[in-house]
Amino acid sequence: MSALRLISNRTSQQALSNSDYTWEYEYYEYGPVSFEGLKAHKYSIVIGFWVGLAVFVIFMFFVLTLLTKTGAPHQDNAEPSEKRFRMNSFVADFGRPLESERVFSHQIAEESRSLFHFCINEVEHLDKAKQSQKGPGLESNTHFQEVPRSSGMFEEDLNCLTKFNIPNFVNTEQNSSLGEDDLLISEPPIILESKSVMHSSYRILD
Amino acid sequence: ENTSDFSLNITDCTQVVVPEEVFFTVAAAGILENLLVLIAVVRNKNLHLPMYFFICSLAISDMLGSLYKTLENIFIILCKMGYLTPRGDFEKKLDDAMDSMFILSLLGSIFSLLAIAADRYITIFYALRYHNIMTLRRALVILAIIWTFCAGSSIAIALFSYEAATVIPFTILFPLMMFFILCLYVHMFLLARSHARKIASLPTSTVHQRTNMKGAITLTIFLGVFLCCWAPFVLHILLARFCPHNPYCACYMSIFHVNGTLIMCNAIIDPMIFAFRSPELRSTFKKMFCCTR
Repeated sequence: MSALRLISNRTSQQALSNSDYTWEYEYYEYGPVSFEGLKAHKYSIVIGFWVGLAVFVIFMFFVLTLLTKTGAPHQDNAEPSEKRFRMNSFVADFGRPLESERVFSHQIAEESRSLFHFCINEVEHLDKAKQSQKGPGLESNTHFQEVPRSSGMFEEDLNCLTKFNIPNFVNTEQNSSLGEDDLLISEPPIILESKSVMHSSYRILD
Repeated sequence: ENTSDFSLNITDCTQVVVPEEVFFTVAAAGILENLLVLIAVVRNKNLHLPMYFFICSLAISDMLGSLYKTLENIFIILCKMGYLTPRGDFEKKLDDAMDSMFILSLLGSIFSLLAIAADRYITIFYALRYHNIMTLRRALVILAIIWTFCAGSSIAIALFSYEAATVIPFTILFPLMMFFILCLYVHMFLLARSHARKIASLPTSTVHQRTNMKGAITLTIFLGVFLCCWAPFVLHILLARFCPHNPYCACYMSIFHVNGTLIMCNAIIDPMIFAFRSPELRSTFKKMFCCTR
């Protein structure tokens, strides 16, 4: 039966051989194809394609695993890896999209709160609403211009942040710079700044 | 009709047939699922965000893909039953329209995935300025541009599909986009890695260890599902254009129905790995179903 159908439609297929758009009627009627003298298995393209696809996907998976694994050079034994936790919370939530603006601003508010608790003694009227507005300004000093400025808070923000750069940022009292504190000067602000970005980027993906 | 000169080998590759019940069940499930995602995003005001709009765009293109396959199958059944003539003008136009729907669905899927990846990229690398960069209006404009381009390309490709010049760019676009999306995600991974290094230098760490493979698994699932579901069909189109009479190609083309079913499986899997991972969307679903009971 199929042979007859193939043959009867073959002549009409010749006339329409240039029009590809009718292939869907004729995909089962591609005309007699000689299957004699095949060197390889007849399904070799099918098998080769699927094997190649599987190999590619597995290769991609291993490359990605390698990328994530080489993130911690020599701190594996040191701590019970907060880094792993952070990365896992990042990559675990990687597939989950942003929640909402409220969550975003809330998380930023939390981060800014943790960084600004040093400033609380200095700036006593810091409240949550203003923190959420100040949040985006933590990224760097240059980004302060992008923050919608609330009245009077901008200068206080600058004051607070400059305090991070002087030796006495660990405690808020006015102290002269000590020798051992010098080591703390350059390191923590950078880490804390990047930490805020990291935290925000991680929480955003929650 | 007399038998022709060509003698068919008995061992030729016969069409691998997917039972129609399976076919229509898979198609209906895909359409329903993506429709639910669309309804949930429309109904919940909290989900009116650029990211969810891109997920909706993916849901629409998945729906179009399932719809195309369903209509095509109905069409073929009607042809077999004799209600439609296989060579009529009207049928050819209908066939063109359905082909353009398929290409629209494929292009829409690719560009939606690209938009989702770019959105996540901006979220991570421009985290604190994200809401200035990706406003709602800009997201809608981007989606309008994407869908206009896809619609135009699909109509052009369907009309001129007999030219090899249209098939080749179409099949080159596919791996190019995949590669670009992969690069975006890999760059995000590298940033996660450098952040992890910075965190490791922090003194505070009270959390127990966990495997960090989950991100790699997630990304592999994203791209692997798309590849495995669409690539077989794209290869079919390539082979149908360039070697229809080669026995190896003919054997590959005999699994056409399976490839079509894979596209519809993609429509079912995509909401699970994109939309349903959001707790907000899941809670919207629960509310929708609990209210209707």
